[in-house]
Amino acid sequence: MSEIKKQEQTTTHKIGIYLWIWGLLFVLSFFSYMVDWYQFQGLLRWSLILLFMFLKAGLIMAFFMHLFWERYALVNVLLWPMTAIGCFIFLMVAEFEYTVFTRLFYFVVGG
Amino acid sequence: MSEDYNDNKTIQAQSSETISGSGSGVSPDIDYVRPAEIPEQDLYHGHSFITKWVFCQDAKVIGVQYFLLATFTGIIGLILSWLMRLQLGFPELASFMTAEHYYQFVTMHGMIMVVYFLTALFLGGFGNFLIPLMVGARDMVFPYLNMVSFWMFFIAVGVLLASFFVPGGPTGSGWTLYPPQAILEGTPGSGMGIMLMCISLILFVAGFTMGGLNYLITVLQARTRGMTLMRMPLTVWGIFTATVLAMLAFPALLVGALMMSLDNILGTSFFMPTILKAGEVLEYGGGSPILFQHLFWFFGHPEVYIVALPAFGIISDLISVHARKNIFGYRMMVWAIVGIGALSFFVWAHHMYVSGMNPWFGFFFATTTLIIAVPTAMKVYNWILTLWRGNIRLNTVMLWCLGFIVTFVNGGITGIFLGNVTVDVPLSDTYFVIAHFHMVMGIAPLMVIMGAVYHWFPLVAGRFLDEKLGKWHFWLTFLGAYSIYFPMHYLGFIGVPRRYFEMYDSPYMTSAVGMNEFISMAAFIVGAAQFILIYNIIRALKIGKPSGHNPWKACSLEWLTPSVPPEHGNWGERLPVVHRWAYDYSVPGAKEDFITQTTPPSDVANTEVEKT
Amino acid sequence: MSDPKIEGYEFKPGFKGMAQDTGSDQTMFKGVHWGKAMMWIFLLSDTFIFSCFLISYMKGRGSTLIDWPNPSEVFGLHVFGVDVPLLLIAIMTFVLITSSGTMALAVKYGYEKNKKMCGWLILATAIGGLTFVGMQAFEWSKLIHEGVRPWENPFGAPQFGSFFFMITGFHGTHVSIGVIFLFIYAYKTFKGHYDEGKRGWFTSIKGDYVEIEILGLYWHFVDLVWVFIFAFFYLW
Repeated sequence: MSEIKKQEQTTTHKIGIYLWIWGLLFVLSFFSYMVDWYQFQGLLRWSLILLFMFLKAGLIMAFFMHLFWERYALVNVLLWPMTAIGCFIFLMVAEFEYTVFTRLFYFVVGG
Repeated sequence: MSEDYNDNKTIQAQSSETISGSGSGVSPDIDYVRPAEIPEQDLYHGHSFITKWVFCQDAKVIGVQYFLLATFTGIIGLILSWLMRLQLGFPELASFMTAEHYYQFVTMHGMIMVVYFLTALFLGGFGNFLIPLMVGARDMVFPYLNMVSFWMFFIAVGVLLASFFVPGGPTGSGWTLYPPQAILEGTPGSGMGIMLMCISLILFVAGFTMGGLNYLITVLQARTRGMTLMRMPLTVWGIFTATVLAMLAFPALLVGALMMSLDNILGTSFFMPTILKAGEVLEYGGGSPILFQHLFWFFGHPEVYIVALPAFGIISDLISVHARKNIFGYRMMVWAIVGIGALSFFVWAHHMYVSGMNPWFGFFFATTTLIIAVPTAMKVYNWILTLWRGNIRLNTVMLWCLGFIVTFVNGGITGIFLGNVTVDVPLSDTYFVIAHFHMVMGIAPLMVIMGAVYHWFPLVAGRFLDEKLGKWHFWLTFLGAYSIYFPMHYLGFIGVPRRYFEMYDSPYMTSAVGMNEFISMAAFIVGAAQFILIYNIIRALKIGKPSGHNPWKACSLEWLTPSVPPEHGNWGERLPVVHRWAYDYSVPGAKEDFITQTTPPSDVANTEVEKT
Repeated sequence: MSDPKIEGYEFKPGFKGMAQDTGSDQTMFKGVHWGKAMMWIFLLSDTFIFSCFLISYMKGRGSTLIDWPNPSEVFGLHVFGVDVPLLLIAIMTFVLITSSGTMALAVKYGYEKNKKMCGWLILATAIGGLTFVGMQAFEWSKLIHEGVRPWENPFGAPQFGSFFFMITGFHGTHVSIGVIFLFIYAYKTFKGHYDEGKRGWFTSIKGDYVEIEILGLYWHFVDLVWVFIFAFFYLW
């Protein structure tokens, strides 16, 4: 029903790119596992977890899902809505801190 | 980039020397539209009754199906509101109603009207019917998915209505379904009722996602030649943006409904704090009720605009057509729609000022809420400026449009009150809130729906609706709706709380009684007046005046199909080619007072058309 | 992929191109198949679902006063007399990434119309997915055996069990649906439906290798979600 005009020769990427990304994903996963293995704590743990997470997510999206090669029109449409999620996360962090505060205040301190 | 985009000045399509010739001097280059990049859509044509009218893949039929089913559920919602008003105005006549019944009716009325009536009708009904026609597509891009979408909606409605017949009845927790009370014993329908409600919502979201993907991809990827985004009628813009909101907001509802079902069935404590009931601690503990409120309103506020944005879009088109004037500030209107849509994800907690959330949020959300008033106000000014010195035809459609503007301004201004924390705190949970949201997202979108029905009925059926009946319908609805909701503002100011079954021994028992009776009477009349439309439609289908082609002399594509009503595939042999926006009305120098979107520039070379 | 050729349309790179694409007629995503655009928008919607789950989890975990169990111990395995933290999860991650890689290659070979390679790689992906679901079932049964329930758990805050079963369950459902489709698509590939353009069973849309890429998008998304779940649920 919805065939976009077939190009005579669909250009595909060299297999090496995929294998490289594949390898990198394994390495990054190994690193993030090591974060737990060595029991890093506190800010270091958080920043390492997030760093590896975003690197992995970025690699998957950019190369496996081909977003790197897509035109900006599509990329743009997909990434902007994430600001709403970002706002939601930001506010919910403030919210749970407040909830903990009220709970400690009323249940533990006793008002 | 900006030069390409802001070039909206009126231009002479051709220099005067070329025009002064016999017209042969007009270069055909100005009519050039680049060739099609998408091959023809191959469509599945139904042959039997079942494939043509029941499991149909034609978006127009699906639109009508959505329309009819949504109207049916809407009538149920209307009857529920009558019952509520009977209780509030004349409790002695409503002795068959208990408080539980009342709460159930409140809940079901709210949920039906917001989700199963307005959302389904605007996006499912008008979206399906109008999007392919207005962007010049043969059908939605995934007709099969579109059909499944409707039948999912059908099942969702079935599940919702089934909850009236299960033990305990439907849920009575208010349309916001706030836990913990929604699933605690003592709330009507806390067992089966709320479960069916959650299942129904999940089904609705799933079905709607299928439909929504269709609307989005049709608008983005299946427009006809020459149809740029900035040439689309505002109706399409409104429905499109609303669908984007729906795709991003419904997930929060889905998650909320799912987690509440788990709390209900499995006894998890996502939303359930430690609860002491009759001296006993329930097995719940540690959950956060306010999380549900955040999830619900992260969906709920965009939902308001899911209803409002299609209304904004449709009204812009109706006003433009019936005032014979181009829409004032088209680009501003588009950006206002998009801006409202984007902002609507950042304002949700203004529904929660008194919920006990982090008190700093009040500042953030009051600010964003008041910012969103700016694009909204821009739209209202633009509607008024479109009417300004227009050639207004005061027919039924125009009456509904004017009714919408008045009602919407009214509801919008009370929204500014409620958006401010300090004003909201005393007014929240009073009838002022009821009046506000019924004005702004109940009556106002309803007026648009009515206007749209009178406007597009000739396209669906090839016949006009009766004008006289239509005017009765309008005046009864308009004056009646004001009689209902205007006094409610006052009730709110004196502090009458909403969702109360009766006022018992409070001072409102005496002071509000007369007003409640008056409101109830008006509600009965307005509700009954809606059946005028149904009668009108049935009558018009039989003996209505045939409308012929393009009865309103509109520019947009949906009126330019080779046959009226349009057939499956919409356009016959050739797809239309678009050369201009949808608003070339009363162009100086043109033969007629409208230039259709398909008119090539060389045909109107001696007129002052806007470059779009 | 690289820019397609469209008659009468000159592609511009970068943000200029974005503006031009957005402002042009007919399509906004130039050369993007309808189904692929649909899958992207659907995944965007699905992202919001998972984001809402994870945000709820953050709110729930952040505001509970009872200690959250240490995932590193709860999900640890006892092998050969040694306690290895998160071993099973590490293997699951490994399996899922492997299957993501095979899927990416399947898409590549699909576009090269290499039916055999494409089919086998899809099958490998499906088997990887199946392994993942199986290991998840093992993990669930292990936890249930240890007394973790959606409504309670012996290690600490009851929300731990609730969120764990809900989020991994929802993700597992996605994987399972993906596996079913992978098997169907492997069958269709081997049968040559995409070479002949055979119409779909329900939708009657003509088959094309782009469908492999659409399914691939879904599968990579499932992997993507796992990256976030791994980071937030198991490592936090």
